[in-house]
Amino acid sequence: MRYVLFALLGMGLFIPNVQARPVSYPGGWTFMFMNDGDANTAHIHYSPTADMSVGYKFENWRDKEFTLNAVQVNNLIKRWNKKHSQANLYLKSGLGIAHSDRDDFDSETSAAGFTGLATDWENRRFFVSYENRYTEAGEIDDFFKQSARVGWAPYEGDYGDTHTWLMLQVDHTPEGGDNFTVTPLVRFFKDVHLLEAGMNNNGELLFNYVLRY
Amino acid sequence: MKKLILLTTVLTLSFSLPVYAMNDGHDHDHGGEAAEMGEKAALDLKSGDAKVAVNGLVCDFCARALEKVFGKQEAVNAIDVNLDTKIISVSFNDGQTLDDEALTGLITDAGYNVESIDRVE
Repeated sequence: MRYVLFALLGMGLFIPNVQARPVSYPGGWTFMFMNDGDANTAHIHYSPTADMSVGYKFENWRDKEFTLNAVQVNNLIKRWNKKHSQANLYLKSGLGIAHSDRDDFDSETSAAGFTGLATDWENRRFFVSYENRYTEAGEIDDFFKQSARVGWAPYEGDYGDTHTWLMLQVDHTPEGGDNFTVTPLVRFFKDVHLLEAGMNNNGELLFNYVLRY
Repeated sequence: MKKLILLTTVLTLSFSLPVYAMNDGHDHDHGGEAAEMGEKAALDLKSGDAKVAVNGLVCDFCARALEKVFGKQEAVNAIDVNLDTKIISVSFNDGQTLDDEALTGLITDAGYNVESIDRVE
């Protein structure tokens, strides 16, 4: 499985972030609540600089039947600022404790960690992103997941307006039964609030909310 | 356990990654009172105020980042971010200013790049 980890790290160098940006401006706090067919997560982070954030991550993997509490560090490895676009490459890693007392597990607790690369490109009308992650949770589980997203804004809002994006997200978990899911979603973005809602091809809901200040 | 050691190493390296994500790095004092920010209307600029062309301004988060950073500068009265023109207008308090190097440093520290700086005559 170590080879998979190296493979995903290498792959991320060449493949074009699925979620909102994992690093904020210097002194910025971000609260991210993500819910989809696989997991419910909460991530609170602080950015001391524009290229790093550190925070707390909670994840509840419903089908995988475990929870994860971790310290997560996000690094902006490289940003490409152009006049009409921006692209980013991030490393996102965490270490913590996984716990499960469901079904096969009798109050199993294990050290756990994850790492992965995320990259995105966007201008004011189009958005493309890719993210991968390998998770190791000791005796409980280990798995790889990757996601990609494309987006289109039907209009260019001014600063302070409500911004609307129509997006399509594809998730791939090689070990899963339904290893590919496709989720059309809509993103609304105004001031410090970002909200996303959608439903995948299995009828599972996606609902994300991000607060950044 | 080997995998966890590997992940621990990655996380440790994350803390020690050098600051090279952006093209330029500056270290500036960000002290001072918060300026009046968030105005949607273009500012009424006076002589000595700055109009800065910035690369990478693609969304409200970008604009808000610059407002936050400039809001900590005592010399700054207000700024206006125009996502269409990619120009931020900086209005200074009477008798105060920031030189081009300081403006560039603030914008670079926020994660963006300066294309040009023009002063109001």
